[in-house]
Amino acid sequence: MTDPTQVTGETPEPPADALRRSPLHERHAALGAKFAAFGGWSMPLEYAGGGVLREHTAVRTGVGVFDVSHLGKARVTGPGAADFVNACLSNDLGRIGPGRAQYTLCCDEVTGGVLDDIIAYLHGPEHVFLIPNAANTAEVVRRLRAAAPAGITVTDEHEAYAVLAVQGPRSAELLGTLGLPTGHGYMSFSTAELGLSTAGAATPDGDLVSLVVCRTGYTGEHGYELVVPAEAATTVWDALLAAGEPYGIRACGLGARDTLRTEMGYPLHGQDLSPEITPVQARAGWAVGWDKPAFWGRDALLAEKAAGPRRTLWGLLALDRGIPRPGMTVLAADGTPVGTVTSGTFSPTRKAGIALALLDSAAGLGQDDEVEVDVRGRRAAMRIVRPPFVQPSVK
Amino acid sequence: MIPEDLRYTAEHEWVAGDGSGPVRVGITHFAQDALGDIVYVQLPDEGATVQAGESFGEVESTKSVSEIYAPLTGTVVARNEQLTDTPEVINTDPYGSGWLVEIAPSDASAVAGLLTADAYRELTES
Repeated sequence: MTDPTQVTGETPEPPADALRRSPLHERHAALGAKFAAFGGWSMPLEYAGGGVLREHTAVRTGVGVFDVSHLGKARVTGPGAADFVNACLSNDLGRIGPGRAQYTLCCDEVTGGVLDDIIAYLHGPEHVFLIPNAANTAEVVRRLRAAAPAGITVTDEHEAYAVLAVQGPRSAELLGTLGLPTGHGYMSFSTAELGLSTAGAATPDGDLVSLVVCRTGYTGEHGYELVVPAEAATTVWDALLAAGEPYGIRACGLGARDTLRTEMGYPLHGQDLSPEITPVQARAGWAVGWDKPAFWGRDALLAEKAAGPRRTLWGLLALDRGIPRPGMTVLAADGTPVGTVTSGTFSPTRKAGIALALLDSAAGLGQDDEVEVDVRGRRAAMRIVRPPFVQPSVK
Repeated sequence: MIPEDLRYTAEHEWVAGDGSGPVRVGITHFAQDALGDIVYVQLPDEGATVQAGESFGEVESTKSVSEIYAPLTGTVVARNEQLTDTPEVINTDPYGSGWLVEIAPSDASAVAGLLTADAYRELTES
């Protein structure tokens, strides 16, 4: 057997000491986690006694908790902060009010290519909190800072907070037992305090843990993301695992997060979105405020939208046992290359290979057409579909 | 997790049998653990000839894929058809029901050239 080749898109592991670590690293090691590099961070891929399939199933049927502390955190404050962010990032913050979060994109001003996808938490007109991807945080902060007018401050708070994603149909019950708020609408958030009596352990300063609870996630299940001060991360993690025991909670690694998000057709930056891929191509136009007078990449994206993109992101469902993987070539029935797989994995729910793939518009392919994917020299038949591959239950 | 009565390759395959008849071949506990949840296996057809050290199939997990190398030269006389529907038995029982193929070696003495359990243990622990 060759050394297993990672095919899920994470970067090859650099020397461990070159990677940043979550404040929960010791907890993961104690749970027997296998680690992999994600955006310059060493994060759990899967846990001993779990594995991608069990962890995936826990989230679809019960509840799982992911440490996604590698995700970036940045804060934009000052008079007109929300208006400033709205003139930079793609989605329209005017569509939401304070206390709501929004999926948005940071596009290149000239090309419209996606530099990052981000969750923006709108606290108020003078305060927006951003969760970019780990690898892109520094660049997003750099660009926002460069564009910020006097009086608006952009702070990189990457290591100041842990982010814990509690996901699954039983996530609300679990948070409820800890006294945390769970009734928010989808994409809404609130600040809450986790008391010592429920947390079961003293925080470093012997105080309440103040955290933000948001009805978000990237799994397609009902779930919450908790933004927790880094120094309280272990307290909250321990409390979640202890309170989750009756619900069969599992610590879940980023391996399961990848199969879960791919089943939903949610894009991963660096694969399905990138500086070379625009939101028009990736069918992420719903996250663009087309009527806004200004946002980065507006001219290029409006022109591309009017002309029609040269390629479009579709879903592929394997018709035989082949598993499509990122970078594989998609072929038309006559063997002509018509596109490239950007994300691909085995769907634990569908029990089949699934993929997201950029297909050339010139090939004239569409829903239900059959194509083939070159799986290491074998031709595997796939059907073109519109994601999701599994019906989401986020609401 | 390294049975004493088997022979091994540096590529994490195991071989059962002394070579006087067909030998059974699988991947080791170490290999299945490194791969993670196995979801797909591709094996050669019965009657196929395989060459020692050359790839004869693939094992794919949710997150990675590995080629499997023939531990010795010979002819495939059986393959584990159960793996088509339940490839996960490689994870749960790598030395038992998770076997891959049976090979009739062209040279019975080839088995003696494979790693002993001690040698394989040394390899995986170094």
